Amino acid sequence: MASSSKTSAPAASAPTSSAAPSSASSFRQRPWVRWGAPLLLLAGLAVLPLVGTESFNDTLARIGVFAVAVLGLNVVMGYTGQVSLGQIFFLGLGAYVTAYGVQSGWNIVLVFVLTCLIPAVAGLLVALAAARLGGLAIAMVTIALPIVGVPLAKRLSDFTGGSQGMSARFVEAPEGSGLYDDQWQLYLVLVIGGIVFLLTYFLVRGKYGRAFAIVKGNENVASSMGISPYRYKVLAFTIASLIGGVSGFLYMVVVQYTSPETMSFGHSIELLVAMVIGGAGSIVGSILGGVFYVVVPDITNAIDPSLTALLQGALLLAVLFVLPGGLVSLPRAVMRGLRRSPAGRGSAAPPTTPSSTPGSGTAAEPTETERQGSA
Amino acid sequence: MEKFVQLVVDGLSTGSVYAALALAIVLVHSATGLINFAQGGMAVLAAYVAWVLTNQGVPLVLAILASILFSFLLGAVLERFLMRRFERGDPDTAVVVTIGLLTLVTGIAGWLWGYNNQQFPSLFPLDTVSVLGVSVSVRSIGTTVVIVVAMVAVQALFVGTKLGLALRAVAINPQSAAYSGLPVERLLMVGWGIAAVLGAVAGALVAPQLTLTPGMLDNALVYALAAVILGGLTSPVGVVVAAWLIGVLENLAAVYVGFIGFDLKVAVPFILIFVVLIVRPQGLFGRKTVVRV
Amino acid sequence: MTLLELEDVTASYGPVQVLDGVSLSVPENGAFGILGANGAGKTTTLRAISGAVRTGGRIVFDGKDISGMRPDQVAALGIAHVPEGRGSFGDLTVRENLRVGAYLRKDRKGVDEDIDYCLDLFPNLQDRIRSNASALSGGEQQMLAVARAIMSKPRMLLLDEASLGLAPSTAKNVYDAIRRLRLESGIAMVVVEQNANLAFTLVDSATVLETGRSVLTGTSAELKGMDEIRRAYLGG
Repeated sequence: MASSSKTSAPAASAPTSSAAPSSASSFRQRPWVRWGAPLLLLAGLAVLPLVGTESFNDTLARIGVFAVAVLGLNVVMGYTGQVSLGQIFFLGLGAYVTAYGVQSGWNIVLVFVLTCLIPAVAGLLVALAAARLGGLAIAMVTIALPIVGVPLAKRLSDFTGGSQGMSARFVEAPEGSGLYDDQWQLYLVLVIGGIVFLLTYFLVRGKYGRAFAIVKGNENVASSMGISPYRYKVLAFTIASLIGGVSGFLYMVVVQYTSPETMSFGHSIELLVAMVIGGAGSIVGSILGGVFYVVVPDITNAIDPSLTALLQGALLLAVLFVLPGGLVSLPRAVMRGLRRSPAGRGSAAPPTTPSSTPGSGTAAEPTETERQGSA
Repeated sequence: MEKFVQLVVDGLSTGSVYAALALAIVLVHSATGLINFAQGGMAVLAAYVAWVLTNQGVPLVLAILASILFSFLLGAVLERFLMRRFERGDPDTAVVVTIGLLTLVTGIAGWLWGYNNQQFPSLFPLDTVSVLGVSVSVRSIGTTVVIVVAMVAVQALFVGTKLGLALRAVAINPQSAAYSGLPVERLLMVGWGIAAVLGAVAGALVAPQLTLTPGMLDNALVYALAAVILGGLTSPVGVVVAAWLIGVLENLAAVYVGFIGFDLKVAVPFILIFVVLIVRPQGLFGRKTVVRV
Repeated sequence: MTLLELEDVTASYGPVQVLDGVSLSVPENGAFGILGANGAGKTTTLRAISGAVRTGGRIVFDGKDISGMRPDQVAALGIAHVPEGRGSFGDLTVRENLRVGAYLRKDRKGVDEDIDYCLDLFPNLQDRIRSNASALSGGEQQMLAVARAIMSKPRMLLLDEASLGLAPSTAKNVYDAIRRLRLESGIAMVVVEQNANLAFTLVDSATVLETGRSVLTGTSAELKGMDEIRRAYLGG
């Protein structure tokens, strides 16, 4: 856990310079920190599976699975600004494809490729229709995915095993490696998940990421720049679905069993809650989201299972009120709070964002923002 | 033939429930520009209030009326203390807030009353009556009639009263409404309150059939959203017609289309949506919406 | 007798200071113009009076400090704002728009009489009384906006760019009607106007704003043809 502060070094990127004390940012600029920290992190992750207990490894692996799922949701929602309530469906779809492929005795590489492709194609089809309507239509359509998905999975029992679900054991530590199964599974999650995170990092930092950000910021501006909001929404949703499929593969690696319950509506909401609480539009936030998704229900179930939903809802609203950037923005918010407190304000809660009155930002004489256009 | 008529009447009745929820969503959207995913959850909370009261020996009608009053206050309070902060901001954030609210109210209901199904008394007898030689259930007819009356009342409020005029004005142009002296903030609370009342009526009528659980209206919410998409966010009439269409079609499909059956009928509105979205993106009745800058 | 007084009013949108000390004074029954180039702070001054932006300084209406009040509270005191862009309620009919304007009034009979008065003042609206406001032409919408404001029986009218986007003859029609309204009702007015010549047909005195500050104040007769006026508009 000591390495966690360093993990944010490559990912926390430009905005930190204004918020973090300048000494820290120059510390991060030093070449040995820039290269050393990721290497140290890598070494830490390589050793990690070897030192933990079985249940610890299992928890870590599950966190990895759902961190990938949250990351996918982040691509479409955090980075492109399209609320999706159906991400869990693609995890479930990926899990079913994996289970079916394994049970049919297909080559595992082929199974993995199909686990990427089938959810991606399904996501593409959904997005092609849903993204045609502007605004919140994607949220309104994707909410149907888990609701339709569960009875559909039950119905297609030839492929899914119906309500019973399907199990598939296909990940066993290779002989001679000296590893236990749980260690081997965690390595698989770390490697595949790590690659997905790395690719996504480059995606959102690159040309497509900028286009996503512009679509998120203002679709009219995007259109005027020759960026088709429709096309990029569809692209983002398809990528999110693909990543969801991968997380489904990893789910089968770790859990080795799936049923219609895997993609239930409640889980879909929990995934969204985890993403917002971890930090929308953030790589590190996706990992925190995975931690939240796995660990918090464990804790609340230990206290009182009937409180889980209540606590999750309350936590989400609390985060939206006091920490809109999610947990990932906590260090920055605390820094700001600490720096402000000598000046007389003790509150650690950051003020509402200055952009809370959109449209009147810079224009000296803003025109009335009329609703007529959208009414 | 008799079966067909029964299916249609039952479909209209469930469609009416979707319609009430969908109208509530449209109402909130036109006033505040956001989709309230907690609309169904709030209605469930109201149904629990009515259920608790009937368990205390309060007559059902009074219990439902009390839950309606509760809903109005709940809607107004939520608008004032939760949603207002997010209304003028990013609509996506506001939607996430309503999802948080859905989780919270579901969680509250589950925490207070558990996740087991509870029997909710029906306002109507479980008899059938003969209409034109075909027997149809009293409950379906009653549900449809009550919801239609509620919707007509809301429509009359909006078209025929000063309060309704003010609510519409605030929905169209809140800034200009404030310049005319309309108490915009209070009117938004009233708008949320009325939406919650519509939801509560739907919840109380459908609870006997579905039995009361915290997630009772999750599916109905999905149907209502489908009706909103099909009808178009700008068209209350379109939304109601779409909701009835969905209710009837899913009932017919469940019986007459072999693959769909009762378990998969929730897919019917979405098959419909996919077809409509490709053919007519603005919905069946709505006008083409202009993206807000 | 002063009806409205602004003392050193400041306002900003986020970090951008838009008003940097605006002072003006409007007597009862007076008509006062605010002139200046785009971005000088004219519209913001009106929004400041209406309470639509947060301000510093003092704004006194009828002896009462109204700074910090909400727009609907300011409206209730008798200040009617005709916003830039007209602020029509597009999905409401012309008659409904007028009724919204009369929201604060309880005298139903008086409201009906005033609707008739508005239709007399703006005969173009007579034929469109059942049309949706969104179907009206720009000139008709401007007339509707003024009429809607009158419906509240205000003591003061804030008029923002009433000629914007209108053909010259239409703009003249609108201003003719407003002049007639002023003669017949004695409503005080604060008029923001790009077209200084048009403004001088209505106002008794005016101030010129430059980057959020009053740089010149005088009667219409004094200001007409002064270099500063020309400069303010040509942005020199």
